[in-house]
Amino acid sequence: MLKIIFGDVENAVYHPPTYFDNRYEDEWITAPLSVAMIKDIDKSDVVSTHLIQSPVLGPISTKEISGGVKTLILMAFDQSGRIFNASACGDNCVKWIVEISREKDLTINLHHVMDFSSVQMFEAVMLNTGAVVHS
Amino acid sequence: MKGKYHIVIQNNKLRYELDIRRNITIIRGDSATGKTKLIQLLEQAAALGESSGVDVFCERPCRTLGGKDWNLVLPNIHGQILFLDEENRFVKSQEFAAAVKGSDNYFVIVTRENLPNLPYSVEEIYGIHASGRYHDLKRTYNELYHIYSPEALSGKVEPEVVVVEDSNAG
Repeated sequence: MLKIIFGDVENAVYHPPTYFDNRYEDEWITAPLSVAMIKDIDKSDVVSTHLIQSPVLGPISTKEISGGVKTLILMAFDQSGRIFNASACGDNCVKWIVEISREKDLTINLHHVMDFSSVQMFEAVMLNTGAVVHS
Repeated sequence: MKGKYHIVIQNNKLRYELDIRRNITIIRGDSATGKTKLIQLLEQAAALGESSGVDVFCERPCRTLGGKDWNLVLPNIHGQILFLDEENRFVKSQEFAAAVKGSDNYFVIVTRENLPNLPYSVEEIYGIHASGRYHDLKRTYNELYHIYSPEALSGKVEPEVVVVEDSNAG
């Protein structure tokens, strides 16, 4: 189930890419879900835990993947209980947010109106009001 | 500071070309389009100059602005083009809006958030896209595109409500 809370909220990470750089675990990077998200969003291949092959930049470190993918990986694997600001994600990350929320209860924080129209089946609870929204 | 400024930022793999027309420009769009990389290149160029390996061509100095002491730094900068990355949540604040209003710098802000305190034009909201590679195939060429393009409105439009810029905008 996807839960969305708009605006400033306690226990939220406003800039997930920085949090990711300091807290990611090596095994997250080579997990099949991360490999697929890095391929889809960044068009890059995971070579190993510490090496990504980018079509634009060549071989890069894990810390050089996009902020959107870093945020998605945190949503999928971080166990700290923190809420991550999905406004660090572009609309091309939406399908993955929904995908992650199908596997676990996922609460995200938004500071802008994200476009979920690319996902056919979508349901979320707006925690600010309790309203349930559908595609 | 007035007018349009053409900016080229490049290293041996990436080249960005931007035309900045007004004092506030917003960059947003999909993930992995190179927004953060653009800011990183400018940070390196501002810190190390030519020895960074980053070329910045513009008739005005370009640099980044960020961190907790932005309000101490900004009053000492004049006639420059300042780039702000999305981790700077102060861009939403009234304090920042007041500082922008009293500043003679241009601001290029990377954010997906709406910034109701700042008077920026819908025509100055851009995304970045890669428009190809140079013939040497080593460098990717990136440029800005309008996110809200008038060309996107095809066919007859009959709005029920029209919202216009307020008198302070731009």
